[in-house]
Amino acid sequence: MSVINSDTTILEKEPERAATSRPASLARRIGGLSDRAIAWLFITPTIALLLAINIFPLIWAVRLSFTNYRANRPNAVVESVGLQNYQRVLTDSDIWIAMQTTAHFVFWTIVLQTLIGFSLAYLIDRKFRGHAFWTTVILIPMMLSPAVVGNFWRFLYQPQIGLFNYIVSYVTGVPPSSFEMLGSVSLAPWSIIIVDTWMWTPYVMLICLAGLRSIPDYIYEAAEVDRASAWRQFWSITIPMALPFIMLAVLFRGIENFKMFDMVMLLTGGGPGSTTEVASITLKREAFESWRTGRASAFAIILFVAVFGLANIYVKALNRVKQR
Amino acid sequence: MSNATSAHSVVEPSATTKRIAGIIVVLYAIVTMVPLAWIFMTSFKSPPDSISYPPKLVFTPTLEGYCNLFTTRTRQTPEYIQSLGPPQSTCDEITRSRNMVIAGPSNYWPRFTNSMVIAFGSTFLAVFLGTLAAYGFSRFRVPLADDLLFFILSTRMMPPIAVAIPIYLMYRELGLSDTALGMILLYTAVNVSLAVWLLKGFIDEIPREYEEAAMIDGYTRLQAFRKVVLPQATTGIAATAIFCLIFAWNEYAFAVLLTSGSAQTAPPFIPTIIGEGGMDWPAVAAGTTIFLVPILVFTILLRKQLLRGITFGAVRK
Amino acid sequence: MTVQSEPIKRKRRPFFLRRGPMENIATALIALGFLMLFQPFALVFYTWSLVTLLAGTVMFIVVSKFPE
Repeated sequence: MSVINSDTTILEKEPERAATSRPASLARRIGGLSDRAIAWLFITPTIALLLAINIFPLIWAVRLSFTNYRANRPNAVVESVGLQNYQRVLTDSDIWIAMQTTAHFVFWTIVLQTLIGFSLAYLIDRKFRGHAFWTTVILIPMMLSPAVVGNFWRFLYQPQIGLFNYIVSYVTGVPPSSFEMLGSVSLAPWSIIIVDTWMWTPYVMLICLAGLRSIPDYIYEAAEVDRASAWRQFWSITIPMALPFIMLAVLFRGIENFKMFDMVMLLTGGGPGSTTEVASITLKREAFESWRTGRASAFAIILFVAVFGLANIYVKALNRVKQR
Repeated sequence: MSNATSAHSVVEPSATTKRIAGIIVVLYAIVTMVPLAWIFMTSFKSPPDSISYPPKLVFTPTLEGYCNLFTTRTRQTPEYIQSLGPPQSTCDEITRSRNMVIAGPSNYWPRFTNSMVIAFGSTFLAVFLGTLAAYGFSRFRVPLADDLLFFILSTRMMPPIAVAIPIYLMYRELGLSDTALGMILLYTAVNVSLAVWLLKGFIDEIPREYEEAAMIDGYTRLQAFRKVVLPQATTGIAATAIFCLIFAWNEYAFAVLLTSGSAQTAPPFIPTIIGEGGMDWPAVAAGTTIFLVPILVFTILLRKQLLRGITFGAVRK
Repeated sequence: MTVQSEPIKRKRRPFFLRRGPMENIATALIALGFLMLFQPFALVFYTWSLVTLLAGTVMFIVVSKFPE
């Protein structure tokens, strides 16, 4: 209202300005839109795109999850099977084992990344000379494509010729051809954990660093006045103050690794046997190899609900960090 | 302020602490770079050198990996090769020394171009839509704004494989499977959520007074947006664009499930590079190196904005 | 102190209508759902993990509309 008023008064006062302004009357008409209209005009395209490419398919998946549809037989009769698909997925011991594989992967990557990431952040926060440069160097792995990373680590893990085996044997004295990182049942899960830790520790480090830097100096100064030991300061100031940030990093890595697909696919493809078959790979096999689309959709919905639940907590953690 | 007078503030770590911290961090950084350096070196090795034991640190560099990456070759008899004219290029020479002739270009370059078209196309769209939506959320009272923003963010959290099933069916119906347009739309949808969140943070930081002053001077809301807000948000828009670009460039799950031929991007293609009798590791390393170089450049450009990008704009330092 | 907080306390809604504590319960429910999904001990827990997760998530969304 007030905007339009000021607009017209200006136009009356400066007729030559109105005359020289762009002739497009359409532009003027759009330009004169109310704020409310502009808000919707700006937001609607994004929402529409997300509805079309994300929400509509999701609803479709929900519908499919109650049927016996198979995508490789588009002409077969589709029957509704009620909750049977969910029942099957949730009582299938193979899928249950895939969940445990995922859990093992998620748990150890989070533990390692948090420990190493936080330690690195703590050391970088000592602000030694050149810390900015080395921080950038450390950050590089997390920007790379997980698929391409998985592929080239496959080369490093080669039993005879791989650099990884060579270095391990050089350090420990074990012959380099005596162990296969990707081929053995006991080592394959760890080979994935190592690559993921190599790649994503910088992520945790960066967020922890932000947490450490958000702690105001005066708190430490006050502790120093109170003669609190360095150890004491670490546990009663540093850790509690950085905790929301650590939580943020842990939650995000949890979500990402829970749905991990590309890196594992390229490294082991779920093998040997199914020792590294994480949930996403099982899902891919159900959907695009066995073509049980209905059942795969049910499984997809289960994964989605889990991720969506975590995402809620994640946004809550984000807001808590934002207030700092 | 007390720093100038006292030797060091109480919280300033001692010189020894700094030195030890520095040494550990530098060591970690070097270890972390070893795999990348190794791939870079392998790309300049000859195939026998790349699979030698013990791994070779010193070797005569050759462009064979890059030649093999960009060409397809056929084996010929030495007599036939002798009968050919002088080699046309370095690659020709290297190939002939292996008793082979170049048969034609490989698929790497088309796949690389696909990656570029899809990454740039989706980034442009995502940033365009994202800027508009972010401005809308930042400046106007939108009903249910928090819910809409959460909805937008949650779409990015979805497991790609879970979404891929219905997208696969939908694209099959619409004729979008294995098309660049289909991939651009899909990546735009994934990226727009990040773009909205990041850009909302950047636009929130631009004082409203600037636009209000402009509007008092006779600008309409849209003119103020174009001539005042957009120039102020350039840094933010550039940073957001690079984040979107990196995502689209790196994406694998959707690409491998939804493209197979004409619209395939580089990440699903690189693992399929194989040579005669086993993996042609120098060629794979060469493909990886070329694919990763843009990301290295972007990481260095982005280093100040990285934190913001990975926390959806929540942590601004 | 107690005298001052007394009238405020009376005005406060019961905990099951306030956002803070209920969000924590929902979060705990989601965490429990994950534990059930991931545990290797009994198939029954895995079977019911979806219901727990769903309950926690729906509760979280509903409860986040409550006033503080």
